[in-house]
Amino acid sequence: MSAAAAPLPRRKDLLDIESLAPEEVVQLLDTARPFKELFTRSVKKVPALRGKSVLMLFYEPSTRTKTSFEIAAKRLSADVTNFAVSTSSVVKGESVLDTVETLQAMKVDYIVVRHSSPGVPNLIARHTRASVVNAGDGHHAHPTQALLDAYTLREVLPDLAGRRVLIVGDILHSRVARSTSRCMHKLGMEIGYFGPGTLVPDTRPDFARGFTSFADALAWKPDVVYLLRLQLERMHASFIPSLREYHTVFGVTPARFRQIRDAGIWVMHPGPVNRGVELVDEVMTYERSLINQQVENGIATRMSVLYSLQPVTEARADDEGAGP
Amino acid sequence: MTAPLLFKGGRIAAEDRPDLIEADVLVENGRIAAVAPGLPAPAGAEVRDVGGKILVPAMFDVHVHLREPGREDKETIESGSKAALNGGVTGILAMPNTEPPIDSGGMVRFVRNLARDRAVVPVWTSGCITKGRKGESLAEIADMREQGAVMFTDDGSPVSNPQVLRRALEYARTFGAILASHCETMELSGDGAMNEGRMSYRLGVPGVPACSEEICIDRDLALARVARGRIHIQHVSSARGMEIIRRYKEDGVQVTCEVSPHHLLFCDEDIADFDTHYKMNPPLRTREDNARLLEGLKEGLFDVIATDHAPHTRFEKDRDFREAPFGITGLETALISLYDRFIRADAFGWDLLVRRYSAEPRRLLGFDPVPIAEGGAAEFLVFDPEAVTRVDETFMRSLSINTPFLNRELRGSVEQVVRDGQVVLDRPAGVVP
Repeated sequence: MSAAAAPLPRRKDLLDIESLAPEEVVQLLDTARPFKELFTRSVKKVPALRGKSVLMLFYEPSTRTKTSFEIAAKRLSADVTNFAVSTSSVVKGESVLDTVETLQAMKVDYIVVRHSSPGVPNLIARHTRASVVNAGDGHHAHPTQALLDAYTLREVLPDLAGRRVLIVGDILHSRVARSTSRCMHKLGMEIGYFGPGTLVPDTRPDFARGFTSFADALAWKPDVVYLLRLQLERMHASFIPSLREYHTVFGVTPARFRQIRDAGIWVMHPGPVNRGVELVDEVMTYERSLINQQVENGIATRMSVLYSLQPVTEARADDEGAGP
Repeated sequence: MTAPLLFKGGRIAAEDRPDLIEADVLVENGRIAAVAPGLPAPAGAEVRDVGGKILVPAMFDVHVHLREPGREDKETIESGSKAALNGGVTGILAMPNTEPPIDSGGMVRFVRNLARDRAVVPVWTSGCITKGRKGESLAEIADMREQGAVMFTDDGSPVSNPQVLRRALEYARTFGAILASHCETMELSGDGAMNEGRMSYRLGVPGVPACSEEICIDRDLALARVARGRIHIQHVSSARGMEIIRRYKEDGVQVTCEVSPHHLLFCDEDIADFDTHYKMNPPLRTREDNARLLEGLKEGLFDVIATDHAPHTRFEKDRDFREAPFGITGLETALISLYDRFIRADAFGWDLLVRRYSAEPRRLLGFDPVPIAEGGAAEFLVFDPEAVTRVDETFMRSLSINTPFLNRELRGSVEQVVRDGQVVLDRPAGVVP
């Protein structure tokens, strides 16, 4: 594959969507396209990152995102190492920075990090020359999810400007809601939030409008309904009274599904789905459900991200010194 | 006997006078012998030219964490007292949330003895309200008082059970003792690590709503009214919380309160890149709170300025935002940062600073203030308004460096500190204990 787009100008890390200019978002999405075409070929690999090492630093269990990043890195011919965090020294009271110092000594080029605390990728990025990709930090950000969501939508709606996305569910605890809304907003979409008052905070960004019922929200005529995963433990902290009530009021019930289908609204979900909570089974086989495309596109967009970032390697530092 | 000291050519700050007045100051036998322009030097006197400098009554800080016993790696009574002196503070009140906590007469005596042997400025201590700071049963307040404790507080946590606090207020009233309240409703604070608001939402950091503090202030003051006790509200961070205190003050409840420099200077937006040097409890609120607290300070609603000096190791503060402990140091930067940001910018004058950070803190604990006046105790600073202090590791005497001012420069410098008639800190001469 030839380079379809020039790499981003000197961006070392991808920590959040907020710090990306809209053009950078578009460039990352455009760069993903040729990578996705690659998947239809018998040889799905390119040599772009041959000789580079990618370290997967997952402090939080994750199967889907981690696998997606691993496949992305391997298709770029990078060497992938898993740093088994749960069994390592973290349990012995070693700080994240101690770990990073160790990793620094291993001279990795990219660190893909997931952590339950917000800001850990920022902390690591400040202390390492490697490129850091945030694969989800607490409730803060999940930029590659946002990019794959935008990529998926662009496949079905070529011009996103002016399109409307309704995000439904636990906005408060969702890094996906934060990153995906920002990303879609940067691409010119209108954003609406609907969910229980306990989970849709007033402190959300101004660009996101709120609704008081699913009917009102659908009357706004969204092009996309994006359902967030409900963490089932929310029930125990008085955020919602019961899953039954959540589904009845905030879920895609058979009746709401018919409305959604009749209006031709696209449906998205970051997975994994709680069937019967966020949505009923029929939605999974709905022809305008994008849930499986989201997974597939995750690999292409993550390839684009890894390909576009520039670690501050020793050689690169020298290059900079020689510049004007 | 030490030689008399004559400070020539300086300008003098006082709590009751917005302008600085030019006068020489003669110190003899530990007291201020004369304050007047053009004083002649007595025989054998050491003359110090302080032209262009400001003479300021020394500061007193009623909210300091010294970490001894228990966490001597963060701070000791000795290092904390040196930090105080370095910042122009010649008296400090230690909080009792050490490990173990200072909750008995024996512990108070232990701390007072250590202070007497090792501290470079007088160190007073507070005692706990409840045994083990657990909020369950009253600590021996009378015995601790007997041993020298001058305030009672479970600082770091509220006394969550209102019945316990009511009893404590009533019991302490017997002796005229002051209770101090760290106001927080724990169920509302939860695992919050910063102010709840747009910024916490944006960063995905669990928030502490301002009402966590406000509800507790209201509750504690309602209890103080019923108990007819004396209560001091610590580190007010919310403007609404301040307004609640105003109401109770107007109602005649015996309440005093403090504001910390960081709640005047910084807000939650400063946390932008998850900088743990902006993580403290109560958290930094909004820019609007900064402005309204400053107004409250100027109106005289806040009785004292106090730092809540809270040393933590670099290792702990280098952890991620949620894991890192609450608190920043303050003793070494309070005076210069308030000068740099407010006095220099004409937001308020030296009189306010002297009143709120030197005179009133002493009065709060029943001590005499130290104005620079004939016959008074010689306890003042020579402050250079033009010099620049670089807040780096060589400057700091605290064992911890967790301050947002780390490696930054502030205008103003505490050049000399006089106590008991002697120059105990002389920066130009390299004498900085």
